[in-house]
Amino acid sequence: MHRLSLLLLSLATLGTAVATAQPSFTGPVPVPPADARPDVLRRDYLARVTETLDWYQSAITSEKPLTREQILVKLIRKQGDAQVSQRVLELMAEPQSGDMFWMFPWTAVAFAGRDQLSPEARAAIRDAWRTYFPMRGDTENHWAMYYASLYLMSELYPNEPGTSWFTGKSSAENLAESREYLIHWLDISTTIGQGEFNPTHYIGEYAIPMIYLAAWAQDPAMRQRGQMKLDWLMADLAANTLNGVLRGPNARTDDTSVIERWNALSSYFSWQMFGNTPPPSGYGGWGIYFAILADQYELPEVIRRIAVDRGSDFVQRDLKRSRRRWRYSDVEMAPIYKTNYLRRDYAVGSYQGGLSDPIQAHVWDVTWAVPDPRGKHTTMFSAHPLSSAQVMQTYFTELPDAMIDGLASQGKPSYDVPDKILGSSPYEQVFQDLDTVIALYAIPEGVRFPHINGYFSRDLVNVTEDKSGWIFAQGGNAYLAYRPLAGYEWQHLLGYRQLPSQGGGYRWERVDHGDKGDKLLFSPHRHNGTIVQAASASEFASFDAFRAAINALPLTFSLEPVPTVTLKTLRGKQVTFTYGQAPVVDGQPIDYSKWKLFEGPHLNAEKGSSILTITHGKLQRTLDFNTLTITDQINE
Amino acid sequence: MRIKTLFASLFLAAAAQAAAPVYDFIICANINRNYVIGSKITTLNGVYIRDDAGAWTHHGYNDTGITAVAFDPRDRNVVYTSAMNGLWRSLDGGKTWRMCNSWDMTEGRDVAVDPNAPDHVYLAITDGVAVSTDRAQTLVRKENGLPARGKYTQAIKVDRTQAGRVLAACEIGIYLTEDGANNWRQVLATKETVTDIQQSPHDPAVWLAATQSAGAFISRDSGVTWQNLPGVPSDRALYNITFDVTNPQRFAIGSWAHGVLTSEDGGATWTARNAGLPEGHCVWRVGVDPEGRLYASVVKETLYVSDDFGRTWRRDALEGSLVNSFLLLPRAAQ
Repeated sequence: MHRLSLLLLSLATLGTAVATAQPSFTGPVPVPPADARPDVLRRDYLARVTETLDWYQSAITSEKPLTREQILVKLIRKQGDAQVSQRVLELMAEPQSGDMFWMFPWTAVAFAGRDQLSPEARAAIRDAWRTYFPMRGDTENHWAMYYASLYLMSELYPNEPGTSWFTGKSSAENLAESREYLIHWLDISTTIGQGEFNPTHYIGEYAIPMIYLAAWAQDPAMRQRGQMKLDWLMADLAANTLNGVLRGPNARTDDTSVIERWNALSSYFSWQMFGNTPPPSGYGGWGIYFAILADQYELPEVIRRIAVDRGSDFVQRDLKRSRRRWRYSDVEMAPIYKTNYLRRDYAVGSYQGGLSDPIQAHVWDVTWAVPDPRGKHTTMFSAHPLSSAQVMQTYFTELPDAMIDGLASQGKPSYDVPDKILGSSPYEQVFQDLDTVIALYAIPEGVRFPHINGYFSRDLVNVTEDKSGWIFAQGGNAYLAYRPLAGYEWQHLLGYRQLPSQGGGYRWERVDHGDKGDKLLFSPHRHNGTIVQAASASEFASFDAFRAAINALPLTFSLEPVPTVTLKTLRGKQVTFTYGQAPVVDGQPIDYSKWKLFEGPHLNAEKGSSILTITHGKLQRTLDFNTLTITDQINE
Repeated sequence: MRIKTLFASLFLAAAAQAAAPVYDFIICANINRNYVIGSKITTLNGVYIRDDAGAWTHHGYNDTGITAVAFDPRDRNVVYTSAMNGLWRSLDGGKTWRMCNSWDMTEGRDVAVDPNAPDHVYLAITDGVAVSTDRAQTLVRKENGLPARGKYTQAIKVDRTQAGRVLAACEIGIYLTEDGANNWRQVLATKETVTDIQQSPHDPAVWLAATQSAGAFISRDSGVTWQNLPGVPSDRALYNITFDVTNPQRFAIGSWAHGVLTSEDGGATWTARNAGLPEGHCVWRVGVDPEGRLYASVVKETLYVSDDFGRTWRRDALEGSLVNSFLLLPRAAQ
């Protein structure tokens, strides 16, 4: 039996009742208003909330029963009539779904409907928390949802005995346990780094519980924690997006979002918060669960400005944290040293390689800006397609064979395919300096899939295999140079098409888009490497001038006994990077032990501090989790 | 779902029959094929007990993540399950339950009650061992002697001959405590996880262990020393190992890669017994019922049963099930 979290309940689950047009999804790409007065920004922010709620409500018909999301919208709009209560009773009488994915939606219904639902409907929800045994799950997003929900429900129904809760614990015991966990999680995520960092989808699993705590917790301190962590998450999103699209490495993403970078729940949050990219279809599925309370969140202006201002290039370095490793590892949680370099035309991001999360991780890329990101594959990177039962066992309690076998049916179709481009590997080490990335690979003999996959988007133009060994291309206004360090061949990168389920679980088929589709640079060499350099087109007189500049840079490399590269970067840095050794830049080895929790022009925090300073221009907000205080100031 | 103290009533009814078997046959099963967190739970999962007519009846709460069940030998209404949430306990035969662990203990892999100190409960978890001395009202970690890393614990069993004597199947070997988990020492070193450990129902000094990559082991001195069982493959993981309560010479192993392996000579020789199992014979667990019938839980299939210790197989009930553990429970003398 597999214990993987469902990536996200699919839109098919959440949005089936919705057939009406989704204005911002199909409309023009939004542009942040030139008039940045607070009232204008707030008006636009609230308009986006209204759009989301309207979209769900407009799909209500007399022919179809209300969905849970439509119930929520009606309740939040104080339209909780008898029909709503009756529908709650019907839904509660059905088999329940979703564990912690069940808990937080019904927590939302319970709170939104506490003064509107009939006594019978409220009792039905309440009784389900006695009779239904939701699993707590096996990862941090599960626990955030589980404990935030249990916390709130225990506050909503205080002073009740253990016999009235599925846990067998009293309201006070549930509350205490939930509070303990939530504070523990906030503590480690604000001192040694966020686990499941910068996720394309799982941002919802954290942001939604936090806004619920911020809005509904009775304890002012817990409300404050929810508010502050929400600020923290949105600041982290703002500093890692370009035109609203999340860039750089992700602890968790998926086969779609890793190449179509915009198509992710994170884009819903960018749209709602910053108004600088279209929301994904169905507002990302879970977006509605945030939208119901989004009007109660005031986005700090300093965070918004970080998101929308790309007038200056900047590097943001963060310390993050791997998922917990139960076995086959010397450490419980490995540090993740993450870099993101953001410019107007493109972004380059990476972490140092190695394992962060067992599946769905994305280690490095260069992504470029386009006028409209919808449907565009705006990224370039390489990866080792690791498929390892022991790695699975490192993070999960599973027995070795079964898990890999079952992953495809659980929504992760690419885990055990040779052309996988998703995932991290213990045999990949990465170094980044500004817009240069060097990824080195030393894959031992006997490893399944002993090769490297390079991703080449269908949306690249001017793809040129130069006799020097560099492959040049252009994505948007970014010039790109990709240097494979070993021989390769081109393959069509097949897509994934989801098929109707037969008896439960996901089914997939591979789709070949032919020469018009994405391409895979398949390099069948265990010792291997990739160098990527990027530049804005505006920096060069022509594409040929960029090519000439790259070709003129001194570069030496060898692959034996381990891969090693010495080059002068486009930005003039002298870099030596040898697999298994610290990278050396201009004679100085990189010392990751000095990495701060956040370091950059916008986000700064010392390791272990629990204090995040968010800065843009003169604006500054400081989140201090030690004192649970928020301090805003204008720097002169 | 028949909840009303069924655990207890089943034992009481059985005890009234002089010819009844002396064991009950219990499994922990996930019947929800292809279940993934977030999907709808439409079936009954968890503890099933087979009645004397051969029918499986669900007991307790519905949970796809139950890995093992244990009972208080003094009072069958006191039931413990290890599950994804940790450790659950019922004091009323499964009517109501309590999640006994705190937030920092997760994914219970196995649970055991000390028959000579029945208030003492041992829980195997992802990062070690938790122990209760008050029927799981409180749980504390007791890991002195376990390694800082390498203490992932897949299975835990209490020696029925001595209070406080417990063996834990961990990531890097088997660990033994003789003082109620106050101190542990390694008695078998492995490179990868020990997947199962069992005490013989015939001779309490005899123990068996299955491993992920080192084959299977036998101990004839109560788990102090271990010998590799010849003829058992070590190239792929073995998922569990079991005795046959009707025959001290018969052992069985379940394995995804190797299917069912049996020995009928006390482990001296082993035979693959997969004829009649579905192609691929990906076996999740094997168990032997009180009458010596061999069961195999086959992934994505159902429970299979053999009347001749694996020579032939037939389909049993519980379509789409994965059985996480089989338990033979001595019926209480009344």
